[in-house]
Amino acid sequence: MDLVRLAWKNVWRNRRRTIITLTAVAFSIMLVQALHNLSFGVYAGMVDSGVRAGTGHIAVYRNNYLESRDENLHFRVGSLIDDISQIDGIEQVLPRLYIPALAQSSRESRGVMLIGVDPDRERQVNPFLKKLPEDGMIRASDSRDAVIGVRLLDELQIRLGQKFVVTAQNEDGTLHSELLRVRGVVSSGMKDIDGSLILIGRGRAALLTGNSGSVHELAVILTNAGLESEVHRQIAAKLPQDQDILAVSWEEAMPNLANAIKLDYASQKFIFMIILLIVAIGVINTLLMSVMERMREFGVILALGSKPMTLRCMIMLEAVILGLLAAAIGTVLGSLATWYLVAVGIDLADFVPETLEFGGVVFDPIMRADWDPVWMFRIVVYVVCLTLIAAAYPAIKAGRTTPVEGMRHH
Amino acid sequence: MKTEQITIILSTLFLSVTLLLTVRPVFALDVEALVRQVEQQYMGASSRSLTIMQVKTSHWERTLEMEAWSLDRDYFLVRITEPAKERDVATLKRYREVWNYLPKVDRVIKVPPSMMGGSWMGSHITNDDLVKANHIEKEYDLRLIEETETYFLVECLPKNDAAVVWGKIVYRINKTPQVPEQVDYYDEEMVRVREIHFDDVQQVGDRIVPMRLTVLPMEKPDEQTILQYRELVFDIPIDETYFSLRNLEKP
Amino acid sequence: MLMTLAFRNLWRNRRRTLLTLSAMVVSAALLILALGVFSGMFRDMLASATEQYYGHLVLARAEYHERRDLFAHLDEEVASRYISAEDTEIIGISPRLRSFGLISLAETSQPVEVLGIIPEREKRVTSLQNKLIAGDYPSDAVSNGALIGQGLARKLKVRTGDEMVFVTQAADGSIGNDLLLVTGIFATGDSRHDNNLVLAPLRWVQKIMVLPGRIHEVAMTLADPMLAAQSADRINAQLPDDVEILDWGDLLPEMREVIAAYDVSRMIIVSILYMATGLGILNTFFMSVMERTREFGILMAQGMRPWTIRGLVLLETCILGCIALAIGLTCGAVMTLYMKLIGIDLAEYITPVTYAGGTILPRLHAVFEAGNFYVPAGMLLLVSLVAGFLPANRAARLDPVQAVREV
Repeated sequence: MDLVRLAWKNVWRNRRRTIITLTAVAFSIMLVQALHNLSFGVYAGMVDSGVRAGTGHIAVYRNNYLESRDENLHFRVGSLIDDISQIDGIEQVLPRLYIPALAQSSRESRGVMLIGVDPDRERQVNPFLKKLPEDGMIRASDSRDAVIGVRLLDELQIRLGQKFVVTAQNEDGTLHSELLRVRGVVSSGMKDIDGSLILIGRGRAALLTGNSGSVHELAVILTNAGLESEVHRQIAAKLPQDQDILAVSWEEAMPNLANAIKLDYASQKFIFMIILLIVAIGVINTLLMSVMERMREFGVILALGSKPMTLRCMIMLEAVILGLLAAAIGTVLGSLATWYLVAVGIDLADFVPETLEFGGVVFDPIMRADWDPVWMFRIVVYVVCLTLIAAAYPAIKAGRTTPVEGMRHH
Repeated sequence: MKTEQITIILSTLFLSVTLLLTVRPVFALDVEALVRQVEQQYMGASSRSLTIMQVKTSHWERTLEMEAWSLDRDYFLVRITEPAKERDVATLKRYREVWNYLPKVDRVIKVPPSMMGGSWMGSHITNDDLVKANHIEKEYDLRLIEETETYFLVECLPKNDAAVVWGKIVYRINKTPQVPEQVDYYDEEMVRVREIHFDDVQQVGDRIVPMRLTVLPMEKPDEQTILQYRELVFDIPIDETYFSLRNLEKP
Repeated sequence: MLMTLAFRNLWRNRRRTLLTLSAMVVSAALLILALGVFSGMFRDMLASATEQYYGHLVLARAEYHERRDLFAHLDEEVASRYISAEDTEIIGISPRLRSFGLISLAETSQPVEVLGIIPEREKRVTSLQNKLIAGDYPSDAVSNGALIGQGLARKLKVRTGDEMVFVTQAADGSIGNDLLLVTGIFATGDSRHDNNLVLAPLRWVQKIMVLPGRIHEVAMTLADPMLAAQSADRINAQLPDDVEILDWGDLLPEMREVIAAYDVSRMIIVSILYMATGLGILNTFFMSVMERTREFGILMAQGMRPWTIRGLVLLETCILGCIALAIGLTCGAVMTLYMKLIGIDLAEYITPVTYAGGTILPRLHAVFEAGNFYVPAGMLLLVSLVAGFLPANRAARLDPVQAVREV
C-alpha cells in the first residue's frame, strides 16, 4: 500500500489547489444532497396530505368505478372493513358512498355530490376536517348532520345550523329526499373543495339511496407509505374473489399527484446532472493540471524503472482519494444541512399564502426535508466514479510518456 | 300549477274538516266520512285547462299560452300554444320524472334530478314544484292560528325531520266561498321568501276555484309570475296512457 | 504592448490556456442550458394555465367573473373602443359569449359550458386547436359546428359527426334550444375542461341566447405574459367604472401562488448552479495564476512593476474570459435551441399534470430569455476576474525572491 501512501502525499503536495477543488466538489455534493432530501421530504408530505384528503394509500373499488364513476358500481362491505383493519401497518380504513344529488334550500338549488362517510374515522384522517371545531363534525353515521364547503354554503344561501333538503335517485329510478342540517363548514381556500364538498353520515346516505351496507370506495390509510406494496398484497388476498372488487394504489387513483412529483423529479435529475457535470469539469481540470506539471517527475520515475501501469494506478488513486475525501466532507455537510432542514425547514409563508395546490393537494408552507440515505449514497458513488473517469485521460497521458519526453517537459 | 291547485283545494277541504272537528265536535263522525269521501273524490280527479302565464323578471317580460292535462297528482302534460316561437314546446311529468319536448330540434330531453331545482319555462315555478306532490298533511302539522269573520289563517309547521325546505307555510282561506286567498312561504328563520296570491274566484262544474295565481318572490320585488286560467274542466275522460312520450311529441 | 504580452502569455502556455478555457466554456454552456430549461418549465406552467382557456387578460363587466351572470353582457365592439389596434403588446383579441345549459343525447343529459367564439380570433388566444384528438376546430364553414372535450364525448358517447341538443335559458326568458354538430374533440388532461367545455361559433351562441351583437368578455394574449399586471393597469385606467380588465393572476390566484413557490425553488437551484460554476471557474483560474507565481517573481526580479503584473493578469483574464464566454454562450445557445425545438419527451412515463388551474405537459424543454445569457455572462466574467486577480495581486506583492522560490 505504498502506492496509496504515495498517492495521498501527492494529493497534498499542492495544498491550495487540493483544498479549492475539495471545497468545490464537497460543496456541490452538499447542495445536491440537501436539495434532494428537501424535495424528498416535501413530496412525502404532499403524498401524505393527498392520500388523506383523497383516496388513501390504497383504495378498494368495484370494477372500474375509478374511471366511470358509475353510481351503480357499489359493493357490500360486510366484514371487509374489519378484516382489512387487522392488517399490520394500516392506520385507518375509510368507507365512502358517493351520491349525485340535488341540494335545495328555500332560495336556491344546486347539483352536488354527497359523500357518505364514517364520521369518526374520517375525522381522524381527513385534513380538510382538521380545522373544524369540536362540535363541528357529523355526530353519527345516520344523523342528519352535514359538513359543507363554505362556497357551496354561500351559493345555497344558507348558514351554519340551517337546514336544507337533498334529493337523489334510487337504483330503481325513484327519487328520495332527506332533510339535512349544516353542522360544520369547511374553508380550505381551494375553490374546488369549498364549492363542492358535502359530507354526510354513511347511514343517512344509505337511507337516501336504499343502499345500506354498501360503499363505492374503501380508502386505506397506512402508517407508513413504504408499506404500500406489502399491504396491497395482503388486502388483495382478503377481497372476495368472485365479486369484481379490486385494490388500487394511490399512484393509479391519483395520477395527478404521482405525475406532478415525477415531473419535478425529472427536472431535478436533469439539473443535478448538469451540476455534477460542471463539478466534473473542475475536477478534470485539477487533475490534468496536476499531472501536467509533474510530467518531468514522471519521466524520472519511469526512467528509474517504474512501470507505466503503476503510474496510471497512482494517478487514479489520487483521483479516488480526492473523490472520496470530497464525498466524505460533502456528505457530512449535506447531512448537517439535511438535519437542519428536517428540524427547522424552510418557511415559505412569506412567499406563499397558506393554501397552495400542487397536484391537487394542499401544500404545507413549511418545506421540511426527509432522510433519503440511499440516494445520498448513490450521489457519493456517482461522484467517485466521475472522479475516476475524470482521471482516466490524465492517467493515460501520464502513462504514455516515455522517460525522455517526460524529463524534457518543463 | 294544476297539481297545486288541486292540492290547495284538497288541503282546504281537509282543513275545513279539521276546523269543523275542533269547533263543533258533535259532527266528528260525519266529518271523518266526509274526509274519506273527499280523498276518494280527489283520487279520480283529472282536468284539462287553457292557461296564460305571464312572467316578469328584472331583465325581461314574457307571456305564454298553454294547454294542460292532469291526472291525480302523478300525471301532467302541458303544451305551449303561444307565442309562435315556442309553440309545441311541451312538458310531461310521470310521477317524479320529467321530460321536455323541443319542436325546433324535434327532440325529447329527460330532465336530470340535478336540474329539478331549475325554473320551469323561466317562471318562478320550479320543475320541482311540478314534481313534488304536496302532501302537506304528511309533512306538516296544521294549526288554526287566527279566525275572523271572513277568513281562516292556518299555520303549517314542518314535522320533525320532514324533508321540506320551508320553515313555515301560512294559508289564508276565505270562509265564503271556501277558497284559498294567499299562501306565504317562510324560510327557517321565519323570513318570508315567497307569496302566492289567489283571486278571480269562479264556479267550474261543481267546484269553486280561484282562476288566477300570482307567485311573488319576496327578495326580488319587481319579479312575478301570474298564472291565469282561461278554461278549466274537471273529470275529463282520460287515463294514464294519454301521458306518454309519444303524446309529448305529437300535438 | 501589454496586450501583446498578454496574448503571447496565453499562447505560450497553450495547455493551461486550453484547460482553463474549456472549463469555463463547458460550465458556462451548461449553466445557460440549465437556466433555459428552467425558463422553459416556467413558461410551460404559465402557458398551461392561460393557453387552454383564460388568456393573459380578460375584459368584462366588473364582478362578472364571480357569478358569471348571463345578463352582464357587453357590446361586441367594446374591445376596439378601449384597446388600440396598434398596441404591440397585445397579440390576440378574442370576444366571447358564455352560456350554461344542458347537452342532451338520447337519455343522457350533461350540464355544460358553451363558449361562443370567433375561431380565427380565439386561435390566437387559446390553443385548443393543438389539443385535438379527433376532427377539427370550429370554423366559419359550419355554423353550428362545436368542439367538445374528451370527457364529455365519453359520457355522452358521441363522435365527430354526431348531433346533440343544447338547451339553455335565453336572455329574453325563452328556452334557447338548437342542434350542435360535433366537428371536433379535444383533450387537455384537465377534467374541468374535458368534461365541461364546448366551443361553438359566436353567432350561433348569440342567436340561441337572443343576445345579438353582445358578448360577455374579451380574452387577450400578450407578447410577454409576465407583464400582464402592468398591461392590465394601463388599460384599466382608461375604462369606465363598470368594466374592468383582469390579468391571469387575478383569474387564477392559485397559479400565481404556484409560480411564486416555483420561483423560490428556482432561485435556490439557480444559486446552486452559479455557485458550482463559479467555484469551478474560481478553482481553475486561481490555480493557473497561482502556478505562475514563480514566473511573476522572475519578471519582477527583471524589473517589471507590480502593477504591471496585475494589469497583465487582468488582461489575460479578460481575454480568456471573453473568448470563453463567446464560445460558451454559443454552445449554450445551441444546446438551448436543441432543447427548445426538440426537448426531452417524458410522455411515456408521465401523463399531463393538472395543478392550480393549469395542465403541465410531460416534457422538458427550454426557451430563450435574454436574462439567461447576459446574467451568467456577467457573473462568470466577474468570477474570472476575481479568481485571476487575487492570486496575481498576491504575487505582485511578494518579494521577488520569495516569489521565485514558490513552486
